[in-house]
Amino acid sequence: MSKITSVFYLLVSIILFTGCEKVVDLDLQSAESKLVVEANITNNPGPYSVKLTKSVPFDDASIYPSVSNAIVTISDNEGQKEKLSYTSNGVYKTKLLQGIEGRTYTLDIEVDGKTYTAQSTMPQKVELTGIKLSVLKFGGQERNVLFPQYTDPLDFGNNYNFVLTVNGSKKDIYVLWNDNTNNGLTNERPVGGPDVELESGDEVLLEMQGVDNMVYNYFFTLSQLAGGGPGGGTTPTNPPTNISGGALGIFSAHISHSKSIKIP
Amino acid sequence: MDVKKQIKQIFTIGFILLSLLSFAQEKFTISGIVKDKKTGETLIGASVLLVDSENIGTTTNEYGFYSIQVPKGSQKLMYSYVGYNSLIKPFEIEKSIVSDVEMDDVIVLQEVVISAEREDDNLTKAEMGTQSLNMKEVAKLPVIFGEKDVLKTITLLPGIKSAGEGANGFSVRGGATDQNLILLDEAPVYNASHLLGFFSTFNSDAIKDATVIKGNSPANYGGRLSSVLDVKMKEGNTKDYSVSGGLGAISSRLMVEGPLQKDNSSFMISGRRSYADLFLKLTEDFSDTKLYFYDLNAKANYKINEKNRIYLSGYFGRDIFGLGDTFGTDWGNATGTLRWNSILSPKLFSNTSFIYSNYTNNINITAENNDFNINSDIKDWNIKQDFSFFANPKNSIKFGFQAIHHTITPTTFSGTQENGDDKNSRTGLENALYISNSFKPNNKFTLDYGLRGTSYSIIGADTYNIYEKGIKTGSVALDKGEFGKTYFTIEPRLTANYRLSETQSLKAGYARNGQHLHLLSNSTAGNPTDQWIGNSYNTKPEIADQFSIGYSKNLSQNRYEIGIESYYKNMQNQVDYKDGADLQTSPDVESQLLYGKGRAYGLELLLKKKTGNLTGWISYTLSKTERKIEGINNGEWYNAKQDRTHDLSVVGVYQLNPRWSLSGLFVFNTGNAVTYPTGKYNLNGSTIYQYGARNADRLPNTHRFDLSANYDFKKRGRYESSLNFGIYNAYGRENPYTITFRENETDPTKTEAVQTALFKWVPSITYNFKF
Repeated sequence: MSKITSVFYLLVSIILFTGCEKVVDLDLQSAESKLVVEANITNNPGPYSVKLTKSVPFDDASIYPSVSNAIVTISDNEGQKEKLSYTSNGVYKTKLLQGIEGRTYTLDIEVDGKTYTAQSTMPQKVELTGIKLSVLKFGGQERNVLFPQYTDPLDFGNNYNFVLTVNGSKKDIYVLWNDNTNNGLTNERPVGGPDVELESGDEVLLEMQGVDNMVYNYFFTLSQLAGGGPGGGTTPTNPPTNISGGALGIFSAHISHSKSIKIP
Repeated sequence: MDVKKQIKQIFTIGFILLSLLSFAQEKFTISGIVKDKKTGETLIGASVLLVDSENIGTTTNEYGFYSIQVPKGSQKLMYSYVGYNSLIKPFEIEKSIVSDVEMDDVIVLQEVVISAEREDDNLTKAEMGTQSLNMKEVAKLPVIFGEKDVLKTITLLPGIKSAGEGANGFSVRGGATDQNLILLDEAPVYNASHLLGFFSTFNSDAIKDATVIKGNSPANYGGRLSSVLDVKMKEGNTKDYSVSGGLGAISSRLMVEGPLQKDNSSFMISGRRSYADLFLKLTEDFSDTKLYFYDLNAKANYKINEKNRIYLSGYFGRDIFGLGDTFGTDWGNATGTLRWNSILSPKLFSNTSFIYSNYTNNINITAENNDFNINSDIKDWNIKQDFSFFANPKNSIKFGFQAIHHTITPTTFSGTQENGDDKNSRTGLENALYISNSFKPNNKFTLDYGLRGTSYSIIGADTYNIYEKGIKTGSVALDKGEFGKTYFTIEPRLTANYRLSETQSLKAGYARNGQHLHLLSNSTAGNPTDQWIGNSYNTKPEIADQFSIGYSKNLSQNRYEIGIESYYKNMQNQVDYKDGADLQTSPDVESQLLYGKGRAYGLELLLKKKTGNLTGWISYTLSKTERKIEGINNGEWYNAKQDRTHDLSVVGVYQLNPRWSLSGLFVFNTGNAVTYPTGKYNLNGSTIYQYGARNADRLPNTHRFDLSANYDFKKRGRYESSLNFGIYNAYGRENPYTITFRENETDPTKTEAVQTALFKWVPSITYNFKF
């Protein structure tokens, strides 16, 4: 329901036939560069990777320096432990580690005399059995939407993060659901809407990630910011990360299950 | 134990008030009702002055009633009111008498006379930060979309800021939009906006009078921190039937009024509907879009006998927005007020009110034959008893009580597929007791002082969780009807006016206000879906202490008025949501909240020209408002979103000739406090922005000029009509509605800021009629 805000935003945009957009110059402050951690471990076979980069000031070009001199280890609560080896572009990879549902994983990073730690628990598996395609109307515009087919377990606390890839390129949208509503039921919520165009012939890959609360909060916060920006949406904040030590990004141990479909 | 002490304090102060009465000399009383001669509509706030003595006087109350004590013998009373000819009436006083008075409307021939009743009222009254709006004044101002609007007009006054284009509500002296007590015939209106703030719920046809008090309200008002906006509906013509209305491009209105019993009882019914969506039907993309609002005001009064009168009034309004069959939402208020006025004695006036108020919003989403509903609701039942005791010329006392039963249903989900979440409606009982006195020892000094005590009790059935920094530490389960925690507030109110000379006066005031209801909103602009919550075990009553001082001066025989006021406000128990809060689907929304304090201070200037062909005002506010909440912005002070440093309004009305009048309006204000990104990074192939301190940045400044022209057609018999032309944002300033950030389309390594503006310019035309 994070889209309610953007629906009202749409309402406003309807009221304003005369509304207009322009690029403006703003005097923005520059944040200091911070370590950015992109770390994922799933129930699928490895290798898993941890990518370390640096953030840059907003006005700079979007070229993010990679960090190659870190010591990165991942361990779990059953005694597995592995030091990752550096490949290239800031990416460190595992060789042996296997992600197993229900286990809690710890990520340790040492770089330039600082240490960063994160923990994430891989939830129990929820099966994505298929994708149902349907057409919905949004303000006169017809849109293809996807209904991921799965049944939420009876226990509360299941979180889902959907990643949509169309013709090989990842869509810049955040779809985060939990079972605060529809707990224990088969899914009836669509992925897609007014801002996602799926056209005939498109190859769609939908990944359903089962994530823990921290990971959910991180991406949910990002989804809340996607609506309006200053003046129209939620007051922007940095998403709460599970990484201690002052780094940005997230360490996500998640269940991953993908299905693909071709739009007829 | 604390409560006992507080109750004792109330009684002590009560006794002091009563002891004042014993000093009163025995005199006779003249009392009665002041009305408009043509329509029989009672006049609120008309001044009644004893001529030849110390010039001590009184004003009519909200029902047009006055009571003044005079010595035996030949006396004269002068009655005066904005836009009416003053009236001097002689009396031969041997006993207390009743004198109802009918006043003549100033006939507008050569010029619009917007002359103040006693033109130096601003110098004599103790009330601070108070502005009464006469609908005649509002009518001449430039209008947006062809509708004159009380709510839009008050935002042109110093210290009051509109939330901005496309946003609900207004902010008074740094307060949040939920800190305004908006009353329509005493019933609270929880959302006073239509079409996301482009219109207000107050249909000007049905409105008689509006008063706004910026924090220093007398003790008979309470329940919100920042202001009271008291709007009163017309009672209806007691002399004759009359129809008036307006046809516009965006909305139309119709009002019918007339006597139920000539000279005694009357009714008024007024409706309005917008039809902007008819234009949408012409566009391909939005052909199945619904977007409109309507509202209905109705009021009737019945005179039982000379001493008793009953009023019944109601409002119903709704906004409807739908996108095909997929999405529909509607929201709106319903209020009802039943009042019984009773003149118990020439000195004692009583009013008893039963009030109902309800605000609901519903969202319906249909996908794949599945209905999904989201609803939230707040419902009040309210009983209120007010007494006005006109003790003697030096003291007039008000006292009374109020009890409100709130039922608040938080955002809940239901639907064909939904197993329903088990959120309960929560109930609370809000009580208030007050006493105040307006003390005028001489014609130089006026002192209004009073005390209001309130309580709020949490009532079952529900389970209330207790959180410590967002983590649940316990819970309290209440059975149905069981009383849980009760909060108390003690609110002293004081304002003083000292007349330095014939033309200038000095004012000072202090007020404490408490607030037991809180609006949760996680968007920067208000949404109709924002939900209200009551006090709980975590959320405590909000408290504000406001200190203010002021200076007023009138120039050139009261033609010009200068007002300067400055305030400092300290706020406790402010509510905000934590970063990334989920206010919609969280099983307990309280787990998403944080609490802290706020402060606001400012300087307000007003220069007003009250008479002549050119009338209007310049209002300027310099202000600051901040919050400090553990868990937000590292616990440091940050700008509240409604913080705007400068706020300027210039309003002018020029009567060109008897037919044409022109009006212009210029506003300028600093942009709202917002948070811009300071850095960026990449995660899983997406660009994510990094933010610095909360609300440390500013939207660009907002300014615009509105112009309107009004032409009065020649009156034909009873038929009066006029045509109003208007242009909103005449020079096409692109004022920022939002700023968003995105990757440059041609060079994805660059990010850029994009500003969206709402209205470049909007013309309007409205035909108004009356017969």
